Amino acid sequence: MQTLGIDIGSLNIKAVVLDEEGPIGTSIMPLGDEVGDSVHAALEKATTEAGLSLDSLPVVATGVGAKTISFVPQQKSITTCLARGIQYLFPSARMAIDMGAESTTVIKLNERGRLTDWANHDKCASGTGLFLQQMAKLMGLPLDEMARLSLQARARADITNTCAVFAESEVISHVHRDPPTPKEDIIAGIYYSVVSRIMSMCKRVGITREVAVTGGAALNDGLVNILEQELGFEVLKPASPQIVAALGAAIVARENSEKGTKK
Amino acid sequence: MTTAESRSEIDILIRTYRLLARMNRAQNKGGSSHTLYFQLLADYYTRVRNAHEEGKLLAAHTVFFPTEVLYAMDIVPMHTEMTTWLSALFLREQAGLLAKGAELGLAPEICSPHRGVAGIFALNAIPRPDIILWSNLICDNTAKSGELMMELSDSPGFFLDNPFQNSSGEMDYLVGELEDMVHFLEERSGRKMDWDRLSEMVARTNDEIDLYREIGELRKAVPSPMSVMDDLELLSADYMFPGQPEAIQYLTHLRDELKGMVQEGKGAVTNERFRLMTLFIPPMYLMSYLEQLFEEYGAVSVVEPLFTLWSEGWLDPAHPLESVAKKSFLIPERRSMYGPLGEQALQDIIDCAEQYKVDGAIYWAFMGCRHTCATIKVIKETLSEVDVPMLTIDCDIVDPTINSEEEVREKLEQFFEMLEDR
Amino acid sequence: MDYLNTRSTESLNLEEFRAVNGTFPKTKEILDLKQQGNKVFGWLCTYVPEEVMHAAGILPVRITGYSQETELEDGNAYLYINNCSFSRSCLQMGLRGEYDYLDGVVAGSTCDGARRLFDLWQHYIKVPFQHILTVPRKYTERAHCLYYEQAVKFKEHLERHLDFEITDEALLKSISLFNESRELLKELYQLRKLDRPPITGSETMEVLNASFRMPKELFNHYLRQLLDELAVSKIEHQNQARLMVTGSVMNNPEFIHSIEELGGLVVTDELCTSTRYWSDPVVLNGRSPLEAISRRYLSNFPCARMVPSEERFDRILQLVRDYKVDGVISQIIRYCVPYAHDLPLLSARLKAAGIPTLALDVEYGTPGSGQIRTRVQAFMEMLETRKR
Repeated sequence: MQTLGIDIGSLNIKAVVLDEEGPIGTSIMPLGDEVGDSVHAALEKATTEAGLSLDSLPVVATGVGAKTISFVPQQKSITTCLARGIQYLFPSARMAIDMGAESTTVIKLNERGRLTDWANHDKCASGTGLFLQQMAKLMGLPLDEMARLSLQARARADITNTCAVFAESEVISHVHRDPPTPKEDIIAGIYYSVVSRIMSMCKRVGITREVAVTGGAALNDGLVNILEQELGFEVLKPASPQIVAALGAAIVARENSEKGTKK
Repeated sequence: MTTAESRSEIDILIRTYRLLARMNRAQNKGGSSHTLYFQLLADYYTRVRNAHEEGKLLAAHTVFFPTEVLYAMDIVPMHTEMTTWLSALFLREQAGLLAKGAELGLAPEICSPHRGVAGIFALNAIPRPDIILWSNLICDNTAKSGELMMELSDSPGFFLDNPFQNSSGEMDYLVGELEDMVHFLEERSGRKMDWDRLSEMVARTNDEIDLYREIGELRKAVPSPMSVMDDLELLSADYMFPGQPEAIQYLTHLRDELKGMVQEGKGAVTNERFRLMTLFIPPMYLMSYLEQLFEEYGAVSVVEPLFTLWSEGWLDPAHPLESVAKKSFLIPERRSMYGPLGEQALQDIIDCAEQYKVDGAIYWAFMGCRHTCATIKVIKETLSEVDVPMLTIDCDIVDPTINSEEEVREKLEQFFEMLEDR
Repeated sequence: MDYLNTRSTESLNLEEFRAVNGTFPKTKEILDLKQQGNKVFGWLCTYVPEEVMHAAGILPVRITGYSQETELEDGNAYLYINNCSFSRSCLQMGLRGEYDYLDGVVAGSTCDGARRLFDLWQHYIKVPFQHILTVPRKYTERAHCLYYEQAVKFKEHLERHLDFEITDEALLKSISLFNESRELLKELYQLRKLDRPPITGSETMEVLNASFRMPKELFNHYLRQLLDELAVSKIEHQNQARLMVTGSVMNNPEFIHSIEELGGLVVTDELCTSTRYWSDPVVLNGRSPLEAISRRYLSNFPCARMVPSEERFDRILQLVRDYKVDGVISQIIRYCVPYAHDLPLLSARLKAAGIPTLALDVEYGTPGSGQIRTRVQAFMEMLETRKR
């Protein structure tokens, strides 16, 4: 049984075609001006890779933009999809930290991939992909260079403000200090402030191992490194962290179809 | 504060309630207990408005105040927090009142009803109270609100000091405080306390508590007969009319209605799917929105353990003042919120979850209510012991700028989805 | 911490105090005492009668939080974000084991933040002895009666727990010792009444911090040494304005230092870690020691929780007069409810007495950020203009 899951985020659209063996087609596409076009492009790529036609596949949509596409009637919340997706990839996972572009979400799940609790942080930009992008621009460095440098930090610059707007001015003052704070330390400080926010959310729901990371920012080794330091243990890292929710959506599509055929 | 200009808020409330009563009666919406409630409140605020004309003293008081004492002395009570809540609920007056409170120098972290109350006083939106009465039941905000009210209304006041724990020495202290208060009121009003009347009220309070317990039992039915909008009415019967015929009248009505529904197997929502435990209460301004949303999702709040569990015990009309003191130890809020956090409060949560067959719980975390929010984690953990998930929603009881209907909908949808998924 | 006194080449010897403050909660003294089999109890709020614990052979230490503004992940998760940062800070330290040596925790039902801190400490951090006293909000005879009963209950609970009788004799000794501390602190404060005091507000705070973190015998000894030093010191702190700091629980000398760097001198303070802690001595007046103790603790320089607020305001105005204060800096922690409610009334009283107030919103532990300094700067300039 093949199914399709699609995750319409604020920056990217992710799609996964799933069959019994596993994902057979995936795509990650930036969200263009026309949502509908971008969605079609993403679906096109994933289904082509899978060698299947869109019409034949049961689909479930998730993500902040799911409501905007009318042709996919079946929708599920991102948290439910993350829970399914991460459990599929790591059966021992009981918690996942999704570091998306505009928001960070922490979910807890049970052994059946059922969501049991979650916490959001979407009231402001800090602690998210967008914040990190902003900081990268400020430091004049590409994201991956920043991550690499952070691993060389010997200390962490104090970035006390948890608000992105104020954090920015703190970073600037570190750069212009005399003598200037080492770049690595500033980056480590930035990452630490992001991780602090994440830790707060984790503690709200209570930390239960194993913990996985998902979302675009999970590719950031520097960030994940500091997260692991704070947690005191290693986290599970999917090879393709951005598609976990889409994968979960495909799993939900499969469950729905199975329920349907049982009648 | 002049009497002439100062009646606007009250007039509006009275008109609103009369209108609601008429509308309800015409549509026969949700049962006659609603109509009765609106009528009772219209009458309540009419008494507030007319107090001075009728040569009576008007006493502004804070929440959980033993107003039986006032009723027994023919002093007209005006519940300060309720007035702000109702203004928020029906008149959408919050912004102006809160802005005024801020102008007075009250920090935004102070409980919003109290900032609103100060605003109401400062704006002369109510008749000038002759007396200000306040107590420390149930928190620091209540305990600290009186002196500013005294200053704004230039009226004398009395602070009723409720002891923290329940021991004989502390009960004696409270009775002593009540005695002092009676003296104070006798001096101000020139009247003597009518002890027989107070005894009657104590006797009635026993019946009142009985009715609350019955209603609590009836809500255990599947489907549950009472909706979230009724929560405020249910609680405020005792807040506004403790030991008064009005409370008995309303609660009896409600009890009979609920009994009828249970007999017919009817629930508050058309298709009951989610039985919820509510911790604290939903924000005032969200009440009608939630009613719609809950109907849509088939959700019903079956129990509010912080507000609906009266402690065991009876009051003795032969000792009216002691009984009034004892009553403050029996009220649900003292059991759950005031006093050291004991095992009983947590056991109550578990018992409610089981007896009411609860699917999930929602904690309405009011940013201004710090002492209740301190128990969020403990309660969440307690509920997880009986496999009941809990959603926490940060909000404010009267200030809608903390979160939006959209946000609340999203969170609730996700929560319902999660419950269904199990 | 380097407190260079730019106004003189001398600087005070505060090493002993700094050594304790620098390592608290796990100071060498405390750990040694524990090693020797002694008991240490933590207390919250000035309405907990320390002498009762001391008379039982216990070392009472005050539970305080981090001396910096920090991300309180555990505090937030347990107490929620809307309880004051003081309670969250203390709880986090407790949860992270920084007070794991405590044999007991004692609190008063003083304010919501404190009582919930106590509740959660009891629930999550198991301590062999826990007790909370009901503290009335009034000063009436009846209230004194109730509070005395509570002190008796506390004493009896302690006696049962320790299997040890707390005698009147022991209580009298403890009273004498604690009164001595209060007397010595009063002497210290007298020096701040001078036109050019020899000690700054931040230095005083360092001394105060140490006062509730070590055995009183030792503290008194060090304070006597300091007073001797001050008696012959040539240090004179010039200042452009005499300031008083008031408000929520605050014990970070850095905060006061950041104010004093801008030209003003903090000559007195109305805080539960300063004057509200030591002001009133226990006076026997023919009463039993426990009665005298309870009477003193209830009628001590009041916390904003007490009613009527006038009592506190009167005493604040007295401080203003005694210390010739030019301006008041109120620092109130977000969600510190009693003090926030008092502020409008207090500011009005001070204004009527011709004293301007600067109202700052802070978080517990703040060392004084850029924003705070900017506002103090502006306040100082305003005070300057008034003087001319």
